[in-house]
Amino acid sequence: MTNTQIPPARAERPAAPPAPAPKGPSARDRGTRLLATLFLAPTIVGIVVFTVVPIVGSVILSLFHWNVIESPSYAGLSNYGEVFGDETVLVSFRNTLVFMILAVALQLLVALALALTLNGRMPGWLRSVFRSAFFFPLVLSAASISVVMKYLFNQDFGVINWLLGFVGIAPVPWLTSENAAMATVILVYVWQQFGFSFLLFVGGLNNIPKEIHEAAALDGATGLRKHLTVTLPLLSPTLLVASVVGIINALQVFEQPYVLTNGGPGDSTRTVVMVIYETAFEQLRFGEASAVGVLLFVLIMAVTALQFRLSRRFVHYQ
Amino acid sequence: MTDSHLTRRTLLRYGAYGAGAAALAGTAASWDRLTGADIPGRDDGSLVVATLGPAYGPEAIRTLREGFAELHPDIKLRINAVQAVDWSDFFAKILTQVAAGTAPDLVYVATEGVQLFAQRLGVALDQWVKRDAAELKEYFADVHPSLVESMMYEGSLYQLPVEFNAADMYFNQQVLRRAGAQFPSADWTRDDFTALLRDMKQSSGSRFTPYFWTNRLWGGVVPWLFANDTNLLAESKAPGGDWLWDGFYPAAQRKGRGGGFRWTTPQATHDRVEEVYDYLASLIQDGLCTRPEGGNGQNLIGVFSTGRVGVTPAGGFWAGGLHLAGMERDGFDVQYFPRWRTQRMQYGAAGYALLRTSKMQDEAWEFIKYAARKDTLERLFATNQTTPARRSLLTADRYEKTGPARWPVFYDTLDRFPDTGPIPAPPQVAEVEQVLLKHTGTALASSRSVRPALRRMQGDLEKAMERDV
Repeated sequence: MTNTQIPPARAERPAAPPAPAPKGPSARDRGTRLLATLFLAPTIVGIVVFTVVPIVGSVILSLFHWNVIESPSYAGLSNYGEVFGDETVLVSFRNTLVFMILAVALQLLVALALALTLNGRMPGWLRSVFRSAFFFPLVLSAASISVVMKYLFNQDFGVINWLLGFVGIAPVPWLTSENAAMATVILVYVWQQFGFSFLLFVGGLNNIPKEIHEAAALDGATGLRKHLTVTLPLLSPTLLVASVVGIINALQVFEQPYVLTNGGPGDSTRTVVMVIYETAFEQLRFGEASAVGVLLFVLIMAVTALQFRLSRRFVHYQ
Repeated sequence: MTDSHLTRRTLLRYGAYGAGAAALAGTAASWDRLTGADIPGRDDGSLVVATLGPAYGPEAIRTLREGFAELHPDIKLRINAVQAVDWSDFFAKILTQVAAGTAPDLVYVATEGVQLFAQRLGVALDQWVKRDAAELKEYFADVHPSLVESMMYEGSLYQLPVEFNAADMYFNQQVLRRAGAQFPSADWTRDDFTALLRDMKQSSGSRFTPYFWTNRLWGGVVPWLFANDTNLLAESKAPGGDWLWDGFYPAAQRKGRGGGFRWTTPQATHDRVEEVYDYLASLIQDGLCTRPEGGNGQNLIGVFSTGRVGVTPAGGFWAGGLHLAGMERDGFDVQYFPRWRTQRMQYGAAGYALLRTSKMQDEAWEFIKYAARKDTLERLFATNQTTPARRSLLTADRYEKTGPARWPVFYDTLDRFPDTGPIPAPPQVAEVEQVLLKHTGTALASSRSVRPALRRMQGDLEKAMERDV
């Protein structure tokens, strides 16, 4: 009998010490969590009280007939039926979508062009002046601006037509023609709103490392090509934020068309939020107004979700 | 997996947190904090009166309050001047207060809201009017029955009118002189009106618009409909009201009066309505008037007083407005609306409506009577910002400074044309007005768009009138 020892297939290693049993969060972690919860609590309460409750309330109210004066009566889905059968509501959705597409596109284009221009060589003080000037309209009340603009764009007595008269242009029916009214409302809206996107773009451009531009320049990229291949892709996260916020705001536009044209001529500038206001507070049909509100909410959610879905293809994070 | 064992230290810490939270909660609960009831005047037993803020400034409110306190020191009064751009905005805010359970006792309501408030919210004043008939005889003798009739609904009286404004025609005298035109006579016609606009246009530059008008229920297309002996909605009168007419008005004045106006079937496609729109479209085409959407009261005084507009319909309220804008009393004058098929004119009136939710209805009635007194209206409307409902208040003294020279026109509109009536304002008035504004804008785009726009207006009006408010 030989005393043969079979060598181990592998060199034996010393057994690893048993993993320590997972412990719960340390006292410090628990303290941090508690503190974080306390800091978040006011915001959470605010969101629940001022966002979640009204949304749920609107959905419930959309199932009732209610004229404020008398008790609500259950209506099932009939309010939605009324809404889909109402030509004014359908037109207002079409107007709002047209407004959203044109206003947001123009707003982003103007803001981007100005941000790129200001990002070039320019004395610091001059850059500050422009930044302030572009942002200024945003801090003004939309209703006040619209009242002033209504005077400026008045066909018979407005300053704009008066100025155009000097170069031989006949008075333009800015707010009284079905074709021109929507364009004028968009112009006023974009003039007031583009400052927000502009500030975002200025911030986004400052965050692009100079080395990347320098490297692109070394590779021969210049001018427009540099913007298309370097600046825009790196700015795409900012573009996404600006377009999401811009679209949500545009879908809820109210003050400018309400003051400038009151939705007219005809229904040509009537928006969804205007219809909600008129249906609820002027015609006392709160159930139908809530139904329109719920539909607008669904539209905003759908458009925003679509944007985030598409952003996977077009947005580049460094 | 969590550690279920608490150390003594942790237990003590949580204990301290709990004690702290309990102490905070206890302190908060016992704190003498503000609630809705602490808002000045709320739930303090005051009689709450809601007025249209811009119409009743601080000075007017003080006058109203102090005068009432002298008469009724036992009734606490709070005037709530609701800021709103127009009557529809005002009603929306009042209804929001009603929904919130903070409804006022009395609301200042114009013709636009009389039937809506009467039908849904108001209390008929009949019992108090009958009780205090002796006291009220002097009031009714001083107020035109047409104004009173416009405050009735289905046989009952809901408000005592305190003011009104008929759509009379204002002229800029400087523009008339420039055109070499005579001031029109009281019985002038629509064709005289057109010819005058043409003269004004020819004598002025391209920056001049002869006729300025607004797109709204009062003073817009409606006075033209009245002049052409038609209306947006078929007009009739409710039965009843004899208790009031027999008690307060002589036979001649109560003839043809009823229990209030009824506006029912839409008639936007009526030939005469179409005629009116065709006429207005032709004025726009010829550059003789503004487009309706371009005109609004905000810029009207400025363009009129500087001679960039020649003629516009406005009420007695404009006498005070133009005076405040710096216009001399002989810089403008006023005439009746021109005759077409008739010379029936339109007006809007206002008074205080008592709400059903009020727990101080007797006190509210005392305020209604006080607000309609002659001395109250005299103090309240001292600056001629409206036409008082009492005939006796329209005197030469009142218009000596503000003008115009033909100030008697304001009240004579009612006396000379007794069929003059209120703007059509059924309980569905908000939707009716919205439909009118929308389709008027479309109809006047060109002469060819009149008919299709009126057809759509008719359809929308039918839907609106079928709806129960």
